[in-house]
Amino acid sequence: MITLGNYLTVSAMLFTIGFAGVMLRRNIVIILMSLELMLNAANLSLVAFSRFHVDLRTSLPNYNAQVFVFFIITVAAAEVAVGLALIVALYRARRTTHVEDLTTLKF
Amino acid sequence: MSIWPPQLEIAVLVLGAVLLLIEMFFVSLDKRAIAYAAIASLATILVATWYLAPALPAQATGLWSFYTADPLAIFFKRFALVTTIIVLVMMLDYTRRSTSSFALGEFFALPIFTCAGLMYMASAIDFVSIFVSLELVTISFYVLVGFDRKDPASLEAGVKYLVLSALSTGFLVYGITWIFGVTGLTNLNQITAAFEKIDIDKNAATFGALLVLVALGFKIAAVPFQIWVPDVYQGAPTPVTALLSVGSKAAGFVVLIRVLRPFLMLPHMDRLLLIITILTLLYGNLAALPEGNLKRLLAYSSIAHAGYLLIGIVCLDGAAITFYLVAYLLMTLLSFAVLIIVAQQTGESISDFDGLATRSPFLAFAMLMAMISLAGVPFTAGFFGKFFIFASAIAQHQFALAFIGVVTVGCGFYYYLKVVRAMYWNSSDKIDNIHVSMLSRVTMTALIIAIVWLGIYPQPIFRALEPTRISVALRSTTTR
Repeated sequence: MITLGNYLTVSAMLFTIGFAGVMLRRNIVIILMSLELMLNAANLSLVAFSRFHVDLRTSLPNYNAQVFVFFIITVAAAEVAVGLALIVALYRARRTTHVEDLTTLKF
Repeated sequence: MSIWPPQLEIAVLVLGAVLLLIEMFFVSLDKRAIAYAAIASLATILVATWYLAPALPAQATGLWSFYTADPLAIFFKRFALVTTIIVLVMMLDYTRRSTSSFALGEFFALPIFTCAGLMYMASAIDFVSIFVSLELVTISFYVLVGFDRKDPASLEAGVKYLVLSALSTGFLVYGITWIFGVTGLTNLNQITAAFEKIDIDKNAATFGALLVLVALGFKIAAVPFQIWVPDVYQGAPTPVTALLSVGSKAAGFVVLIRVLRPFLMLPHMDRLLLIITILTLLYGNLAALPEGNLKRLLAYSSIAHAGYLLIGIVCLDGAAITFYLVAYLLMTLLSFAVLIIVAQQTGESISDFDGLATRSPFLAFAMLMAMISLAGVPFTAGFFGKFFIFASAIAQHQFALAFIGVVTVGCGFYYYLKVVRAMYWNSSDKIDNIHVSMLSRVTMTALIIAIVWLGIYPQPIFRALEPTRISVALRSTTTR
């Protein structure tokens, strides 16, 4: 029997992998993928919470979370579209997608 | 005729879309006409905010569980509109010596979408609407920050903003998830009610609230989530920096005021906010001391001001926060407006302001007013902003905060007056006069008058907020 805890564990693992990827990887495309992983971790746990928050009167799942998931998917798609466009523009100007090479602005 | 509050946002969004279509289909049109049309239309919408339908009965069904039109929301809608109008005026100045990448209408149309997002954010009372409006603001900022594709610094700032902002979005969503997991709710009022019960899992709720606070800390540039600020502020086109530092920060604080009610019922939240406040005050003011680039200086100053605003958050004084944000809008936008014009002539570092008093007495005076108001000299709006914040800190017995605040104001005097010294005491071999267009001259004069007026007579801001009694509402939840 798969419980809520199982879903939450997988979701926490996904979130951690995504966060570690953002912190450790040096390629911006990979960083963008890791960011998507973090959003999808949230999606997974939202759907799990929705499934296990059963309304006692109607015995239906709490659909608010599932609607929220659709919002997150849509926004994430918009974010990736703009993000990839920025990365392409950066690659054209600088011929690189590595964060170490971004040193125009002093830190 | 009275207007239904959500019609304001709809009008702003339609305006943005129409301007984009005009830009696309009338190829030969001078793109600056789009900016003038945007300014005129936004000013019309601003006037329309005074003709809203009277407050609706307290409903919580349909749209009204996501959207509120209380006086705080209306006030910050006006705030967003005024900011966007002034930023559009700055953009006209900025594109005067246009390089090819600015000869595009999108540069004038995108701030309108940001404005719509800021207006939604002022009204958002549900985590779903908070998330969507926050992203509307953020995604249009991605494009705006990296807009100058010929300039590697702008692109680099765009990518840095993209990565760190998307990271904060990840935290926000995951935090909301946990709060939903504990309560099964997304509406802030219902969450407040749910947190009052004893049988909820406080640890999980605190974890979620912490993640949401991280995301909001990123928006308002609070330490330790401020690392993006200096780089992005320096790299972005200057009008975008102005919009980022005023609009994004104000919207972050409105959301913070709204989520504070449920969050303060969780353990350790007040202590955490106190630590963030102290760190932000110290970091912003100390890092600004050696800075020689004015745009970066204003970035650190924006972190420092986030610290003063956070004192207001810790003391739960909504009116003081609002007044401070208004003062911050006036003085920050004024200093950016001067910076844009001067930077076109010479450059962005403080030494480029040498002898500005002889080159353009008007610009030098405008910058002087902005700087002394940022520092907090009496008879300016900035003084009263800090005064109300410190007064509420002392009233709440937060003496440590008040002490650190006053000490850091001393630091502020040093680095703000450095600019004034460059303008009035240093001489420069450059003696060419600087041309200031009529529109920006009028805008700057209006900002100067507003700074002085609010520095002598601050009541109008409080009157605009009166029916909300947000501070009272906030206090009643914590004293219980």
